[in-house]
Amino acid sequence: MIKECYLGIDVGSISTKGVIIDKNNKIIHSSYLWTEGNPMEAVKRVINNLENDLECTNIAIMGVGVTGSARRLIGSMVGANMVKNEITAHAVGTLSIFPDVKTIIEIGGQDSKIIILEDGIVNDYAMNTLCAAGTGAFLTSQGKRLGIPIEKFGEIALNSSQPVGIAARCTVFAESDLVHKMQAGYKREDIIAGLCDAVVNNYLNNVARGKKIKPPIVFQGGVSKNKGVIKSFERALNEKIYVDKQGHLMGALGIAILSKNNSLGKLFSFKITTEHFETKGHTCPRCPNHCELISIYKNNMLIDKWGNRCDRGLE
Amino acid sequence: MEREAIAVGIPKALLYYNYHVLWEHFFYVLGIDLVYSKASDKEILENGKSYAIDEACLALKMYLGHVYYLLDKVDYILVPRIVSLRKHEKTCTNFYALYDIVNNLFKTKIIHYNIDADSHINERKAFIKMGKELGFSRTTSAYAYKKAKRVAKRNARHRLIKQSKLLESPKMKILLAGHPYNLHDNLIGGPIVNILNKLDIEIIYSDIYDDNEGKDKYKSITPHLYWTYNQDIINAILYYQDKIDGVIMVTSFPCGPDSLTNEMCIRKINKPIINLIIDELSSEVGLETRIESFVDIIKARLNHE
Repeated sequence: MIKECYLGIDVGSISTKGVIIDKNNKIIHSSYLWTEGNPMEAVKRVINNLENDLECTNIAIMGVGVTGSARRLIGSMVGANMVKNEITAHAVGTLSIFPDVKTIIEIGGQDSKIIILEDGIVNDYAMNTLCAAGTGAFLTSQGKRLGIPIEKFGEIALNSSQPVGIAARCTVFAESDLVHKMQAGYKREDIIAGLCDAVVNNYLNNVARGKKIKPPIVFQGGVSKNKGVIKSFERALNEKIYVDKQGHLMGALGIAILSKNNSLGKLFSFKITTEHFETKGHTCPRCPNHCELISIYKNNMLIDKWGNRCDRGLE
Repeated sequence: MEREAIAVGIPKALLYYNYHVLWEHFFYVLGIDLVYSKASDKEILENGKSYAIDEACLALKMYLGHVYYLLDKVDYILVPRIVSLRKHEKTCTNFYALYDIVNNLFKTKIIHYNIDADSHINERKAFIKMGKELGFSRTTSAYAYKKAKRVAKRNARHRLIKQSKLLESPKMKILLAGHPYNLHDNLIGGPIVNILNKLDIEIIYSDIYDDNEGKDKYKSITPHLYWTYNQDIINAILYYQDKIDGVIMVTSFPCGPDSLTNEMCIRKINKPIINLIIDELSSEVGLETRIESFVDIIKARLNHE
């Protein structure tokens, strides 16, 4: 018998995630890799990985959902039946695993958000605004300065007994403060634990400012893989922090569920991995607004265009 | 007496959106031609940015671009200096500095338009003085002001009636709350309006409300509020709060008064509410994420009830 399944893709600034779920919202296969600045290629690789996993199984993909910052582009590329913002997707995904969750803390590569839920529906949210201080990108860049791969950050931070205070309001300030602390002779693990604390403080004072953080609290996004940051959150909030081992897939899971609920019953084809996609960006010359238009071509045929403020941009 | 035809330029930015009907009719009665700048676009913003200091808010940068556009097209430019409309209240530092900023940057002829309640100069006095400067008698100017004021009031009434009808719509209704020059500007509020339209939301604007009934409503959340124009925004939110599904506050980075009053609204007003800060680098994808998820939240709540 052919099993009906759904594909969810979450294309973030740093990583691209894909999952295939069955009718009961269970993840059957998943793929997680770096976007490396090329979302279209990354998605092709994710789909390729999933296709290889699926070989010799009787599975029909009946819907595709796309979320994340490149959702518009990838949505057109794969012909998604569901394109939705990442806040809704994360909430839906997390609720399917933690039905009682009240607070979702999400820290990704360049975004951080807080989602407050009540009785299983999203009640409020907040997102970082103008800057990416206190996100994964911040930790990665500080890791580079210290010469420590980001994957080892958490382990090292756990060894610290006395985290150093680091100003994390702004990445530039944090960097000069960090150099100062290094030169002053602080221990490396204390500095790293300090960085983890800094991310948490930044989050609580900016993104979560004015929000009531009620348990159960679920922490997800790429930074939730960092044990040091989890510990800092537990210290600061004095609550248990739940981290699912599939926490990084919640956005993709959520959008797959949304796609299932909105399925058009059309079969998805894996052929797109062998097709040629190309985007072209140009400035619309028709008025002084100079809209930046993006056109996407599939095998040299225009399939979608956006960025226009008015219909003339589509001519 | 034959008068030489003069043209007055009006930048379509900042207080234009509060007073354009009044201005238009005042000059119409006096028989003076008006030239407007075009709607905000990238070119206007780029020019404005090149004249403004970095710390200026986006709306002020835009304004300077509009002034620049008018420079070689008119004899005078109308640049209001509005310090205070009521005693012990203020507008915003931009509005007291506006005349001097434009004067220093562009060395162009500016019509004297100054309202300062703390120094006993009310709107009527300001208009009479403005008329005088253009060579009209006190009586003529006072007459033109009276006529213009009447038209402006009628116009406001019409807008209110029109908006009140939208409140009966079965669609989801969201109040866009903010300064009129942010809400109605092509580049500042424009993208937000487009996204809301795409989501099929009925938009209610905070600059249209019944000020007889709504006046002083702000006092229920704060006894004093120094900034007159922010009182207006809060009055409107409280006036509409039972008739709408959510509030989106729109502010241009880095507005001082808004940063304080918007935070207060978030804490004190019991309605789904978000604050969108717009600067010249804002990406539409980011706005879309925020607005779409906000609408999703309201929908989920409505279904839940």
